[in-house]
Amino acid sequence: MTLDCAPARDLAVSIKDLDVKFGVGDNAVTALSGVSVNITEGSLVTMIGPSGCGKSTLLRAVADLVPISNGGLTVLGQSPSEARRQRYFSFVFQDATLLPWRTALDNVKLPFEVGGGGGIRADPGELLELVGLKGREHAWPDELSGGMRQRVAIARALATRPKVLLMDEPFGALDEITRDKLNEELLRIWRETGTTIIFVTHSIAEAVFLGESVLVLATNPGRVKEFLPVPLSHPRKLPVRDTLEFVEITGHLRRSLEEC
Amino acid sequence: MSGLRGRTPAVIAAVGLICLWQLIVWAFSVPTYMAPGPVDVVIAFRESAGILWSNFWPTLYEALLGFICGNTIAILLAVWFVHKTTAERAFYPIAVFINTIPIIAVAPILVLIFGNGFAPKIIIAGLICFFPTLVNMVRGLKAVSPATLDLMRVLSASNGEVFWKVRIQSSLPFLFAALRIASTTCVIGAIVAEWIGSNFGLGALIIEATYNFRSPLLYATVFTAAMLAVAIFSTVSFAESRIVRWKAPEVH
Repeated sequence: MTLDCAPARDLAVSIKDLDVKFGVGDNAVTALSGVSVNITEGSLVTMIGPSGCGKSTLLRAVADLVPISNGGLTVLGQSPSEARRQRYFSFVFQDATLLPWRTALDNVKLPFEVGGGGGIRADPGELLELVGLKGREHAWPDELSGGMRQRVAIARALATRPKVLLMDEPFGALDEITRDKLNEELLRIWRETGTTIIFVTHSIAEAVFLGESVLVLATNPGRVKEFLPVPLSHPRKLPVRDTLEFVEITGHLRRSLEEC
Repeated sequence: MSGLRGRTPAVIAAVGLICLWQLIVWAFSVPTYMAPGPVDVVIAFRESAGILWSNFWPTLYEALLGFICGNTIAILLAVWFVHKTTAERAFYPIAVFINTIPIIAVAPILVLIFGNGFAPKIIIAGLICFFPTLVNMVRGLKAVSPATLDLMRVLSASNGEVFWKVRIQSSLPFLFAALRIASTTCVIGAIVAEWIGSNFGLGALIIEATYNFRSPLLYATVFTAAMLAVAIFSTVSFAESRIVRWKAPEVH
Protein backbone atom coordinates (compact mmCIF):
# COMPACT_ATOMS: atom_id res chain seq x y z
CA MET A 1 0.00 0.00 0.00
CA THR A 2 2.70 2.40 1.03
CA LEU A 3 4.58 1.57 -2.13
CA ASP A 4 1.75 2.89 -4.33
CA CYS A 5 2.35 6.43 -3.21
CA ALA A 6 6.13 6.07 -3.54
CA PRO A 7 6.47 8.24 -6.67
CA ALA A 8 4.94 11.17 -4.81
CA ARG A 9 7.59 11.07 -2.12
CA ASP A 10 10.97 12.84 -2.29
CA LEU A 11 14.17 10.90 -2.59
CA ALA A 12 16.04 10.22 0.67
CA VAL A 13 19.02 8.58 -1.00
CA SER A 14 19.81 8.72 -4.70
CA ILE A 15 22.62 6.58 -6.10
CA LYS A 16 23.60 6.67 -9.76
CA ASP A 17 26.30 4.59 -11.50
CA LEU A 18 28.25 4.32 -8.27
CA ASP A 19 31.70 2.70 -8.28
CA VAL A 20 33.73 2.09 -5.15
CA LYS A 21 37.29 0.81 -5.51
CA PHE A 22 39.78 0.02 -2.77
CA GLY A 23 43.50 0.36 -3.32
CA VAL A 24 45.30 1.83 -6.34
CA GLY A 25 46.81 0.59 -9.61
CA ASP A 26 47.00 -3.14 -10.22
CA ASN A 27 46.06 -3.95 -6.63
CA ALA A 28 42.77 -2.07 -6.86
CA VAL A 29 39.72 -4.11 -5.85
CA THR A 30 36.33 -3.14 -7.20
CA ALA A 31 33.88 -3.37 -4.29
CA LEU A 32 30.90 -1.85 -6.09
CA SER A 33 30.32 -1.32 -9.78
CA GLY A 34 27.58 0.66 -11.50
CA VAL A 35 25.15 0.68 -8.60
CA SER A 36 22.03 2.75 -9.22
CA VAL A 37 19.15 2.88 -6.79
CA ASN A 38 16.66 5.46 -5.53
CA ILE A 39 15.29 5.25 -2.01
CA THR A 40 12.25 7.37 -1.28
CA GLU A 41 11.80 9.31 1.93
CA GLY A 42 10.10 7.42 4.72
CA SER A 43 10.67 3.97 3.22
CA LEU A 44 12.32 0.99 4.82
CA VAL A 45 14.73 -0.75 2.49
CA THR A 46 16.60 -3.88 3.47
CA MET A 47 19.78 -4.87 1.72
CA ILE A 48 20.90 -8.48 1.32
CA GLY A 49 23.54 -10.33 -0.64
CA PRO A 50 26.26 -12.95 -0.38
CA SER A 51 29.26 -12.03 1.76
CA GLY A 52 31.68 -9.81 -0.09
CA CYS A 53 28.93 -8.31 -2.28
CA GLY A 54 29.61 -4.87 -0.83
CA LYS A 55 26.34 -4.28 1.02
CA SER A 56 28.18 -2.84 4.02
CA THR A 57 30.39 -0.84 1.66
CA LEU A 58 27.33 0.67 -0.02
CA LEU A 59 25.90 1.65 3.37
CA ARG A 60 29.26 3.08 4.45
CA ALA A 61 29.50 5.06 1.20
CA VAL A 62 26.13 6.66 2.00
CA ALA A 63 27.47 7.45 5.50
CA ASP A 64 30.65 9.09 4.13
CA LEU A 65 32.78 6.39 5.78
CA VAL A 66 34.04 5.11 2.42
CA PRO A 67 35.11 7.41 -0.44
CA ILE A 68 33.31 7.16 -3.78
CA SER A 69 35.44 6.38 -6.82
CA ASN A 70 32.90 7.25 -9.52
CA GLY A 71 29.26 8.15 -9.99
CA GLY A 72 26.78 10.11 -7.94
CA LEU A 73 25.45 9.68 -4.42
CA THR A 74 23.23 12.18 -2.65
CA VAL A 75 21.42 12.14 0.68
CA LEU A 76 18.44 14.49 0.56
CA GLY A 77 20.11 16.23 -2.34
CA GLN A 78 23.40 16.77 -0.51
CA SER A 79 26.77 15.07 -0.85
CA PRO A 80 27.44 12.43 1.83
CA SER A 81 29.96 14.65 3.66
CA GLU A 82 27.61 17.65 3.66
CA ALA A 83 24.73 15.41 4.79
CA ARG A 84 26.96 14.12 7.60
CA ARG A 85 27.73 17.66 8.76
CA GLN A 86 24.02 18.54 8.58
CA ARG A 87 23.26 15.40 10.59
CA TYR A 88 20.79 14.11 8.02
CA PHE A 89 21.67 10.51 8.84
CA SER A 90 22.69 8.29 11.77
CA PHE A 91 24.46 4.97 11.76
CA VAL A 92 23.87 1.86 13.86
CA PHE A 93 26.74 -0.61 13.84
CA GLN A 94 26.70 -4.37 14.37
CA ASP A 95 28.44 -3.75 17.67
CA ALA A 96 26.52 -1.32 19.89
CA THR A 97 29.71 0.81 20.27
CA LEU A 98 28.51 2.34 23.52
CA LEU A 99 31.14 4.23 25.51
CA PRO A 100 31.53 2.04 28.62
CA TRP A 101 32.29 5.01 30.90
CA ARG A 102 28.91 6.59 30.17
CA THR A 103 25.50 5.57 31.44
CA ALA A 104 22.77 4.67 28.94
CA LEU A 105 21.40 8.22 29.14
CA ASP A 106 24.82 9.85 28.68
CA ASN A 107 25.50 7.61 25.70
CA VAL A 108 22.28 8.83 24.07
CA LYS A 109 23.43 12.42 24.72
CA LEU A 110 26.81 11.91 23.00
CA PRO A 111 25.68 13.37 19.63
CA PHE A 112 24.86 16.67 21.41
CA GLU A 113 28.39 16.99 22.77
CA VAL A 114 30.49 16.42 19.65
CA GLY A 115 30.67 17.65 16.08
CA GLY A 116 29.38 21.09 17.03
CA GLY A 117 26.30 19.52 18.63
CA GLY A 118 24.17 20.91 15.82
CA GLY A 119 20.81 19.72 14.59
CA ILE A 120 17.66 18.80 16.39
CA ARG A 121 17.89 17.53 19.95
CA ALA A 122 15.32 14.92 20.85
CA ASP A 123 14.61 14.28 24.53
CA PRO A 124 17.02 11.47 25.56
CA GLY A 125 14.65 10.17 28.23
CA GLU A 126 11.80 9.88 25.76
CA LEU A 127 14.08 8.09 23.29
CA LEU A 128 15.02 5.49 25.89
CA GLU A 129 11.33 5.04 26.56
CA LEU A 130 10.72 4.64 22.82
CA VAL A 131 13.25 1.79 22.66
CA GLY A 132 11.77 0.18 25.78
CA LEU A 133 14.45 1.10 28.31
CA LYS A 134 12.47 3.30 30.66
CA GLY A 135 13.93 2.96 34.15
CA ARG A 136 17.37 1.87 32.89
CA GLU A 137 18.59 5.41 32.10
CA HIS A 138 21.39 5.29 34.65
CA ALA A 139 22.57 1.74 33.95
CA TRP A 140 26.16 1.25 32.79
CA PRO A 141 26.66 -0.54 29.46
CA ASP A 142 28.26 -3.56 31.16
CA GLU A 143 25.09 -3.97 33.22
CA LEU A 144 22.93 -4.27 30.09
CA SER A 145 22.37 -7.33 27.89
CA GLY A 146 23.45 -7.33 24.23
CA GLY A 147 19.90 -6.58 23.10
CA MET A 148 19.55 -3.70 25.56
CA ARG A 149 22.89 -2.21 24.47
CA GLN A 150 21.70 -2.28 20.86
CA ARG A 151 18.47 -0.53 21.96
CA VAL A 152 20.59 2.23 23.53
CA ALA A 153 22.56 2.48 20.28
CA ILE A 154 19.28 2.91 18.36
CA ALA A 155 18.13 5.60 20.82
CA ARG A 156 21.48 7.38 20.35
CA ALA A 157 21.10 7.18 16.56
CA LEU A 158 17.63 8.76 16.85
CA ALA A 159 18.82 11.53 19.20
CA THR A 160 19.35 14.04 16.39
CA ARG A 161 16.06 13.09 14.68
CA PRO A 162 17.86 11.93 11.53
CA LYS A 163 16.00 11.80 8.24
CA VAL A 164 17.83 8.60 7.32
CA LEU A 165 18.82 5.75 9.64
CA LEU A 166 21.57 3.49 8.31
CA MET A 167 21.79 0.11 10.04
CA ASP A 168 24.61 -2.35 9.35
CA GLU A 169 23.52 -5.80 10.58
CA PRO A 170 22.49 -4.26 13.91
CA PHE A 171 20.93 -7.46 15.25
CA GLY A 172 23.41 -9.88 13.67
CA ALA A 173 25.15 -10.68 16.95
CA LEU A 174 21.96 -11.24 18.95
CA ASP A 175 20.14 -14.46 19.69
CA GLU A 176 17.08 -15.23 17.58
CA ILE A 177 14.43 -14.45 20.20
CA THR A 178 15.94 -11.04 21.00
CA ARG A 179 16.35 -10.39 17.30
CA ASP A 180 12.66 -11.16 16.58
CA LYS A 181 11.57 -8.84 19.36
CA LEU A 182 13.81 -6.02 18.16
CA ASN A 183 12.63 -6.54 14.58
CA GLU A 184 9.05 -5.94 15.65
CA GLU A 185 10.06 -2.94 17.72
CA LEU A 186 12.10 -1.47 14.90
CA LEU A 187 8.97 -1.54 12.70
CA ARG A 188 7.07 0.25 15.47
CA ILE A 189 9.82 2.88 15.80
CA TRP A 190 9.85 3.29 12.02
CA ARG A 191 6.08 3.90 11.97
CA GLU A 192 6.25 6.30 14.92
CA THR A 193 9.20 8.37 13.69
CA GLY A 194 8.72 8.24 9.92
CA THR A 195 12.48 7.91 9.46
CA THR A 196 13.85 6.42 6.26
CA ILE A 197 15.70 3.23 7.17
CA ILE A 198 18.29 1.35 5.17
CA PHE A 199 18.96 -1.96 6.86
CA VAL A 200 21.74 -4.37 5.92
CA THR A 201 21.24 -7.99 6.96
CA HIS A 202 22.36 -11.48 6.03
CA SER A 203 19.06 -13.05 7.08
CA ILE A 204 16.50 -13.48 4.28
CA ALA A 205 13.62 -13.71 6.77
CA GLU A 206 14.71 -10.50 8.48
CA ALA A 207 15.06 -8.73 5.12
CA VAL A 208 11.52 -9.70 4.05
CA PHE A 209 9.90 -9.12 7.44
CA LEU A 210 11.32 -5.59 7.81
CA GLY A 211 11.60 -4.34 4.26
CA GLU A 212 9.07 -2.45 2.20
CA SER A 213 11.44 -3.48 -0.53
CA VAL A 214 14.54 -5.65 -0.59
CA LEU A 215 17.68 -4.63 -2.46
CA VAL A 216 19.54 -7.75 -3.56
CA LEU A 217 23.23 -7.33 -4.37
CA ALA A 218 25.38 -9.74 -6.37
CA THR A 219 29.07 -10.25 -5.92
CA ASN A 220 32.19 -9.94 -8.12
CA PRO A 221 31.90 -7.07 -8.61
CA GLY A 222 29.28 -5.82 -6.16
CA ARG A 223 26.22 -4.76 -8.17
CA VAL A 224 22.44 -4.56 -7.91
CA LYS A 225 20.79 -7.86 -8.75
CA GLU A 226 17.22 -7.03 -7.95
CA PHE A 227 15.11 -4.39 -6.16
CA LEU A 228 12.12 -6.37 -4.97
CA PRO A 229 9.01 -4.80 -3.40
CA VAL A 230 7.52 -6.74 -0.48
CA PRO A 231 3.74 -6.58 -0.79
CA LEU A 232 3.00 -7.52 2.82
CA SER A 233 0.71 -5.03 4.57
CA HIS A 234 1.66 -2.96 7.62
CA PRO A 235 1.69 -3.08 10.59
CA ARG A 236 3.45 -6.43 10.37
CA LYS A 237 3.64 -8.80 13.30
CA LEU A 238 5.90 -11.83 13.67
CA PRO A 239 3.24 -14.43 12.67
CA VAL A 240 3.25 -12.96 9.14
CA ARG A 241 6.36 -15.08 8.62
CA ASP A 242 4.20 -18.21 8.63
CA THR A 243 1.97 -17.03 5.77
CA LEU A 244 2.25 -18.50 2.29
CA GLU A 245 2.92 -15.06 0.83
CA PHE A 246 5.95 -14.57 3.10
CA VAL A 247 7.33 -18.02 2.34
CA GLU A 248 6.95 -17.41 -1.41
CA ILE A 249 8.92 -14.16 -1.21
CA THR A 250 11.71 -15.70 0.89
CA GLY A 251 11.81 -18.65 -1.50
CA HIS A 252 12.19 -16.32 -4.46
CA LEU A 253 14.97 -14.41 -2.67
CA ARG A 254 16.79 -17.61 -1.75
CA ARG A 255 16.85 -18.71 -5.40
CA SER A 256 17.88 -15.23 -6.46
CA LEU A 257 20.79 -15.28 -3.98
CA GLU A 258 21.93 -18.72 -5.14
CA GLU A 259 22.42 -17.31 -8.63
CA CYS A 260 24.57 -14.42 -7.30
CA MET B 1 30.75 -4.03 54.28
CA SER B 2 32.43 -7.10 52.83
CA GLY B 3 35.84 -5.44 53.33
CA LEU B 4 36.15 -6.13 57.03
CA ARG B 5 34.97 -9.71 56.81
CA GLY B 6 37.07 -10.32 53.72
CA ARG B 7 40.20 -9.08 55.47
CA THR B 8 39.80 -11.13 58.65
CA PRO B 9 41.84 -14.12 57.37
CA ALA B 10 44.66 -11.81 56.26
CA VAL B 11 44.78 -10.10 59.68
CA ILE B 12 44.82 -13.45 61.49
CA ALA B 13 47.60 -14.72 59.20
CA ALA B 14 49.70 -11.59 59.75
CA VAL B 15 49.33 -11.70 63.54
CA GLY B 16 50.14 -15.43 63.48
CA LEU B 17 53.33 -14.88 61.46
CA ILE B 18 54.50 -12.11 63.80
CA CYS B 19 53.93 -14.38 66.83
CA LEU B 20 55.82 -17.20 65.06
CA TRP B 21 58.70 -14.83 64.34
CA GLN B 22 58.89 -13.81 68.03
CA LEU B 23 58.74 -17.48 69.14
CA ILE B 24 61.59 -18.50 66.81
CA VAL B 25 63.76 -15.62 68.06
CA TRP B 26 63.11 -16.68 71.67
CA ALA B 27 63.36 -20.43 71.12
CA PHE B 28 66.71 -20.29 69.33
CA SER B 29 68.08 -17.32 71.34
CA VAL B 30 68.86 -15.44 68.12
CA PRO B 31 71.09 -12.45 68.97
CA THR B 32 69.32 -9.10 68.46
CA TYR B 33 71.96 -7.72 66.04
CA MET B 34 71.39 -10.70 63.72
CA ALA B 35 67.60 -10.79 63.75
CA PRO B 36 65.57 -8.80 66.26
CA GLY B 37 62.13 -10.01 67.32
CA PRO B 38 58.94 -7.99 66.85
CA VAL B 39 59.16 -6.75 70.44
CA ASP B 40 62.63 -5.27 69.79
CA VAL B 41 61.33 -3.60 66.65
CA VAL B 42 58.40 -2.04 68.52
CA ILE B 43 60.83 -0.72 71.14
CA ALA B 44 63.02 0.70 68.37
CA PHE B 45 59.96 2.44 66.90
CA ARG B 46 59.29 4.16 70.25
CA GLU B 47 62.91 5.07 71.01
CA SER B 48 63.81 6.25 67.49
CA ALA B 49 60.50 7.84 66.56
CA GLY B 50 62.21 11.23 66.08
CA ILE B 51 64.92 9.90 63.74
CA LEU B 52 62.43 7.81 61.75
CA TRP B 53 60.05 10.74 61.39
CA SER B 54 62.73 13.24 60.32
CA ASN B 55 64.03 10.78 57.69
CA PHE B 56 60.53 9.79 56.55
CA TRP B 57 59.70 13.23 55.13
CA PRO B 58 62.61 13.57 52.66
CA THR B 59 61.89 10.09 51.25
CA LEU B 60 58.18 10.85 50.94
CA TYR B 61 59.03 14.12 49.20
CA GLU B 62 61.43 12.44 46.73
CA ALA B 63 59.11 9.51 46.02
CA LEU B 64 56.05 11.72 45.48
CA LEU B 65 57.84 14.27 43.31
CA GLY B 66 59.43 11.47 41.30
CA PHE B 67 56.02 9.80 40.93
CA ILE B 68 54.41 13.03 39.69
CA CYS B 69 57.24 14.05 37.33
CA GLY B 70 57.96 10.58 35.91
CA ASN B 71 54.30 9.81 35.25
CA THR B 72 53.49 13.25 33.86
CA ILE B 73 56.34 13.06 31.36
CA ALA B 74 55.32 9.48 30.45
CA ILE B 75 51.69 10.52 29.87
CA LEU B 76 52.64 13.55 27.73
CA LEU B 77 55.07 11.46 25.72
CA ALA B 78 52.41 8.78 25.17
CA VAL B 79 49.99 11.43 23.87
CA TRP B 80 52.68 12.70 21.53
CA PHE B 81 53.51 9.15 20.33
CA VAL B 82 49.86 8.41 19.56
CA HIS B 83 49.49 11.59 17.52
CA LYS B 84 52.84 11.44 15.74
CA THR B 85 53.86 7.98 14.60
CA THR B 86 57.25 9.37 13.59
CA ALA B 87 57.86 10.47 17.18
CA GLU B 88 56.97 6.99 18.40
CA ARG B 89 59.32 5.37 15.89
CA ALA B 90 62.13 7.75 16.88
CA PHE B 91 61.87 7.72 20.67
CA TYR B 92 60.19 4.45 21.65
CA PRO B 93 63.38 2.38 21.08
CA ILE B 94 65.33 4.91 23.16
CA ALA B 95 62.78 4.60 25.96
CA VAL B 96 63.11 0.80 25.80
CA PHE B 97 66.91 1.13 25.93
CA ILE B 98 66.80 3.41 28.97
CA ASN B 99 64.48 0.93 30.64
CA THR B 100 66.99 -1.91 30.18
CA ILE B 101 69.71 -0.06 32.16
CA PRO B 102 69.49 -1.25 35.78
CA ILE B 103 68.35 1.65 37.92
CA ILE B 104 71.08 0.84 40.44
CA ALA B 105 73.68 1.48 37.70
CA VAL B 106 72.17 4.84 36.73
CA ALA B 107 72.04 6.09 40.30
CA PRO B 108 75.82 6.77 40.75
CA ILE B 109 75.93 8.57 37.40
CA LEU B 110 73.13 10.89 38.45
CA VAL B 111 74.71 11.49 41.88
CA LEU B 112 77.95 12.49 40.12
CA ILE B 113 76.05 14.95 37.92
CA PHE B 114 73.55 16.37 40.40
CA GLY B 115 75.35 15.98 43.73
CA ASN B 116 73.99 14.85 47.06
CA GLY B 117 70.77 16.87 47.14
CA PHE B 118 67.20 15.98 46.30
CA ALA B 119 67.56 16.19 42.52
CA PRO B 120 69.13 12.75 41.77
CA LYS B 121 66.67 11.00 44.10
CA ILE B 122 63.67 12.59 42.43
CA ILE B 123 65.06 11.78 38.98
CA ILE B 124 65.65 8.12 39.88
CA ALA B 125 62.22 7.78 41.51
CA GLY B 126 60.74 9.37 38.37
CA LEU B 127 62.79 7.20 36.02
CA ILE B 128 61.58 3.99 37.64
CA CYS B 129 57.91 5.10 37.25
CA PHE B 130 58.36 6.30 33.72
CA PHE B 131 58.49 3.19 31.54
CA PRO B 132 55.46 1.14 32.69
CA THR B 133 53.30 4.25 32.48
CA LEU B 134 54.55 5.12 28.99
CA VAL B 135 53.86 1.60 27.67
CA ASN B 136 50.43 1.31 29.29
CA MET B 137 49.35 4.81 28.32
CA VAL B 138 50.25 4.24 24.66
CA ARG B 139 48.30 0.98 24.75
CA GLY B 140 45.35 2.65 26.46
CA LEU B 141 45.16 5.57 24.04
CA LYS B 142 45.19 3.12 21.13
CA ALA B 143 42.61 0.76 22.68
CA VAL B 144 39.72 2.31 20.79
CA SER B 145 37.74 0.06 18.45
CA PRO B 146 37.55 1.03 14.75
CA ALA B 147 33.74 1.00 15.09
CA THR B 148 33.92 3.65 17.83
CA LEU B 149 36.10 5.81 15.58
CA ASP B 150 33.54 5.29 12.76
CA LEU B 151 30.80 6.40 15.14
CA MET B 152 32.72 9.56 16.02
CA ARG B 153 33.25 10.26 12.33
CA VAL B 154 29.54 9.87 11.54
CA LEU B 155 28.93 12.36 14.38
CA SER B 156 31.46 14.72 12.68
CA ALA B 157 33.57 14.78 15.88
CA SER B 158 36.83 16.72 15.68
CA ASN B 159 40.20 15.14 16.52
CA GLY B 160 40.17 17.00 19.83
CA GLU B 161 36.74 15.61 20.69
CA VAL B 162 37.85 12.07 19.81
CA PHE B 163 40.87 12.57 22.06
CA TRP B 164 39.07 13.99 25.10
CA LYS B 165 35.78 12.09 24.84
CA VAL B 166 37.14 8.71 23.76
CA ARG B 167 40.90 8.15 23.86
CA ILE B 168 41.63 9.68 27.28
CA GLN B 169 38.67 7.86 28.85
CA SER B 170 39.57 4.51 27.32
CA SER B 171 43.18 4.89 28.52
CA LEU B 172 42.26 5.44 32.19
CA PRO B 173 42.12 1.77 33.29
CA PHE B 174 45.48 1.18 31.57
CA LEU B 175 46.92 4.31 33.18
CA PHE B 176 45.82 3.33 36.67
CA ALA B 177 47.24 -0.18 36.25
CA ALA B 178 50.59 1.52 35.60
CA LEU B 179 50.16 4.06 38.42
CA ARG B 180 49.58 1.23 40.91
CA ILE B 181 52.93 -0.27 39.89
CA ALA B 182 54.59 3.16 40.02
CA SER B 183 53.18 3.88 43.49
CA THR B 184 55.45 1.25 45.04
CA THR B 185 58.41 1.45 42.67
CA CYS B 186 58.84 5.22 43.23
CA VAL B 187 59.62 4.49 46.90
CA ILE B 188 62.15 1.86 45.82
CA GLY B 189 63.73 4.45 43.48
CA ALA B 190 64.02 7.07 46.22
CA ILE B 191 65.58 4.60 48.69
CA VAL B 192 68.06 3.17 46.17
CA ALA B 193 69.14 6.72 45.33
CA GLU B 194 69.65 7.47 49.03
CA TRP B 195 71.90 4.41 49.39
CA ILE B 196 74.32 5.72 46.77
CA GLY B 197 75.00 9.01 48.41
CA SER B 198 72.92 10.74 51.01
CA ASN B 199 72.91 11.73 54.65
CA PHE B 200 69.14 11.94 54.94
CA GLY B 201 66.09 9.82 54.14
CA LEU B 202 65.03 6.26 54.96
CA GLY B 203 67.63 4.85 52.53
CA ALA B 204 70.47 6.58 54.34
CA LEU B 205 69.05 5.42 57.68
CA ILE B 206 68.98 1.79 56.41
CA ILE B 207 72.70 2.00 55.51
CA GLU B 208 73.60 3.67 58.82
CA ALA B 209 71.62 1.20 60.95
CA THR B 210 73.15 -1.78 59.08
CA TYR B 211 76.75 -0.59 59.52
CA ASN B 212 76.20 0.10 63.22
CA PHE B 213 74.44 -3.24 63.84
CA ARG B 214 71.34 -1.37 65.07
CA SER B 215 69.14 -4.14 63.71
CA PRO B 216 65.87 -3.18 65.49
CA LEU B 217 66.20 0.34 63.99
CA LEU B 218 66.95 -1.22 60.57
CA TYR B 219 63.78 -3.29 60.74
CA ALA B 220 61.75 -0.30 61.91
CA THR B 221 63.09 1.75 58.97
CA VAL B 222 62.27 -0.98 56.45
CA PHE B 223 58.78 -1.22 57.92
CA THR B 224 58.34 2.58 57.66
CA ALA B 225 59.43 2.47 53.99
CA ALA B 226 56.89 -0.28 53.32
CA MET B 227 54.17 1.76 55.03
CA LEU B 228 55.05 4.72 52.81
CA ALA B 229 54.62 2.57 49.68
CA VAL B 230 51.33 1.18 51.00
CA ALA B 231 50.08 4.74 51.69
CA ILE B 232 50.82 5.90 48.12
CA PHE B 233 49.37 2.67 46.69
CA SER B 234 46.15 3.12 48.70
CA THR B 235 45.82 6.73 47.54
CA VAL B 236 46.16 5.66 43.90
CA SER B 237 43.67 2.80 44.36
CA PHE B 238 41.20 5.16 46.04
CA ALA B 239 41.54 7.69 43.22
CA GLU B 240 41.00 4.88 40.69
CA SER B 241 37.82 3.71 42.41
CA ARG B 242 36.44 7.27 42.29
CA ILE B 243 37.47 8.07 38.71
CA VAL B 244 37.09 4.75 36.84
CA ARG B 245 33.65 3.39 37.56
CA TRP B 246 33.56 0.94 34.70
CA LYS B 247 35.45 -2.25 33.94
CA ALA B 248 37.81 -2.65 31.03
CA PRO B 249 38.13 -6.38 30.45
CA GLU B 250 41.28 -6.14 28.35
CA VAL B 251 43.53 -4.56 31.03
CA HIS B 252 46.29 -6.72 32.66
